[in-house]
Amino acid sequence: MDAAVLHEYLPLYAKAALLTIRLGLLGVLLSILTGLFCAAVQYLKIPLLRIIVRVYIELSRNTPLLIQLFFIYYGLPKIGIRTDPAVCGVAGLTFLGGSYMAEAFRSGLEAIPPIQEESALSLGMTRIQAAVHVILPQALSVSVPAFVANVIFLLKETSVFSAVSLMDLMFTAKDLIGLYYDTTEALFLLVVFYLLMLLPVSILGSIVEKKVRYAGFGT
Amino acid sequence: MQALGLDVLFKGKNFLRLLGGLGVALKISLISVALSIPLGILLGILMTRKNRVLRAILRLYLETLRIMPQMVLLFLVFFGTTRALGWDLDGETASVIVFTLWGTAEMSDLVRGALISIPKHQFESAEALGLTKAQMHLYIILPQAVRRLVPLSINLITRMIKTTSLVLMIGVVEVIKVAQQIIEANRMVSPNGAFGMYLTVFLLYFISCFPISLLAGKLEKSFRE
Amino acid sequence: MRRTKWFAISFLAALGVTLAGCGQVSAGSAAQAAETTDDQGSKAVYRTLDEIKSDGTVNIGVFSDKNPFGYVDENGAYQGYDVYFAERIGQDLGVKINYVSTEAANRVEYLETGKVDIVLANFTVTKERAEKVDFALPYMNVALGVVSPDSRVITDLSEITADDEVIVISGTTAETYLTENNPEIKLQKYDTYANAKNAIENGNGVAWANDNTEVIAFALQNPGYTVGIPSLGSQDTIAPAVSKGNTTLLDWINDEIRALADEQFFHKDYEATLVDTYGLDYEESLVLEGGGAAATAAP
Repeated sequence: MDAAVLHEYLPLYAKAALLTIRLGLLGVLLSILTGLFCAAVQYLKIPLLRIIVRVYIELSRNTPLLIQLFFIYYGLPKIGIRTDPAVCGVAGLTFLGGSYMAEAFRSGLEAIPPIQEESALSLGMTRIQAAVHVILPQALSVSVPAFVANVIFLLKETSVFSAVSLMDLMFTAKDLIGLYYDTTEALFLLVVFYLLMLLPVSILGSIVEKKVRYAGFGT
Repeated sequence: MQALGLDVLFKGKNFLRLLGGLGVALKISLISVALSIPLGILLGILMTRKNRVLRAILRLYLETLRIMPQMVLLFLVFFGTTRALGWDLDGETASVIVFTLWGTAEMSDLVRGALISIPKHQFESAEALGLTKAQMHLYIILPQAVRRLVPLSINLITRMIKTTSLVLMIGVVEVIKVAQQIIEANRMVSPNGAFGMYLTVFLLYFISCFPISLLAGKLEKSFRE
Repeated sequence: MRRTKWFAISFLAALGVTLAGCGQVSAGSAAQAAETTDDQGSKAVYRTLDEIKSDGTVNIGVFSDKNPFGYVDENGAYQGYDVYFAERIGQDLGVKINYVSTEAANRVEYLETGKVDIVLANFTVTKERAEKVDFALPYMNVALGVVSPDSRVITDLSEITADDEVIVISGTTAETYLTENNPEIKLQKYDTYANAKNAIENGNGVAWANDNTEVIAFALQNPGYTVGIPSLGSQDTIAPAVSKGNTTLLDWINDEIRALADEQFFHKDYEATLVDTYGLDYEESLVLEGGGAAATAAP
């Protein structure tokens, strides 16, 4: 391995990591909002909207992000909907992540016994009040492990952003290999940067869920 | 049809070619799942052992494979092994290796989760009855763990299938690559091909994964009741 | 607490092993590089001419989405100018052809790791690439070109403003040229021809820079686009490439290209695969027979 090459590549990888973090976190944030919305629609059993949410969740969970991105970025402009790469990346990640977050929140909601709501109602709370003050705080804490797993899953999924011309870590490595042929150095930095980016998230996650075991993340 | 670029689908053998591409993706995922399940069960059981060194090593394997995006693993194995070890892997073999390594890690964690969810008194009762370790696992623990495991491992299949969409990046001609070839060959006659073809591939993936997800959901529900 | 500690320890160990693994990769590749230079042939990544012949199949890397040079038709058969030549190579070697779909950015890698025997994927001869792979005699002329929509035809690179993005394909000579000579131009990079062409059609960039052969073909095939810059950078050639040091195969291909000059093979190739796109106007300027002038000047 050539130290000079590593040194030369370093700024490019740092730039790519920043792009991944920026778009990844934005996507995660929007996924959380989408997920909360969908979970609320399902929990409150809002007619019609509930069916739309169900269809969305199934479509999103049963297709890969790569083809979702391809369709948004290359397909939709043919019917007049054009997005720039960054918008497309975030939109794709949100489309994918929204359903995973919704499922995490829903399983949290389902874990709360009905007696909790019944008791809240009998205390004279409205359904909304019961949800906000009684159900949600408990449900969210149950959702934590699945939630953490989803965040890591979504950050990992950004590695397909190269397909829509976003210079993320993966594409930077591929591009440098194609330009200068220093494969070993390019792959080495790729691994190091992903570890630097994802290890802290993973360790933080395992501290948060120290007490609650997680199973079956990101299905 | 023309406006949505769906017409190319019915030109020549295009639709059959797409299905063939889907077949390649499904083949890679099914082989990988078939290898991952037994290996994952083995590792999962080992993970519940008391031996700390063994557990640390397995934990390390699990976390390393989980933290790396599968695309990075594909690149490391596809290009890295030839350079480091002189193996000449084709894209499909490299994919099966990566997905098996990854699937084994995921599976072992599911198995471990299922095993530790079994109440301690089950182990103790088995011991009290004088069963050997092997008998205990075979007759008492595994049957209970399997019930919890089945829906989760079926879910692993859909995850595997979805992840095979990445193998076009290491030169495997699967369903997305075939779609690109079709779009490219018909650019003049069907300028909107990108819409129709990517929509078709989207739906093909959905059709492949949705029934499996439904099944997993049903089994999970029946387990809970 | 103990669990957290275990996690932390295992993560650090994971980092250690991964880094060690990478170190090994580099050590391995260095060792291998040394091996191929010191001890050519005995444990090289490539297959010699005899090995290919006795195996009965030659692996040829071609594009599968670069119409009309290398693409796949609706019956699943590879077609195009490069493929026409590949078919002839297979026939004259007396072996079956296994086409391997390649992208621009991994052509060198595929040869360096022996995943293909020959690359016939519109591979422009450059000094940098020639350090990594061995080029045979060229069979086509090429330069760079820039195509843009009729609504705003770019006729000079200076017309590209700081807000504009130019589409290039990762791993092509256009990318290298613009990166080195016009670093102020913002590039929007794609990994495949199919994606890059969709992007220019969808208006994601102001122009697409690539081999001029390809952008001319694109403008001819797709109304609404003009090649505003038909020739940029140096006049180059396109040639087959083999793994570094694979002299037996290289010599065979060179002999083949010289021999094919007698039957004006590449003119026939042009007329079979490119004439629909280019008409006859470009035949003499594109086609090289017998390695052309470069046959005497070493590539």
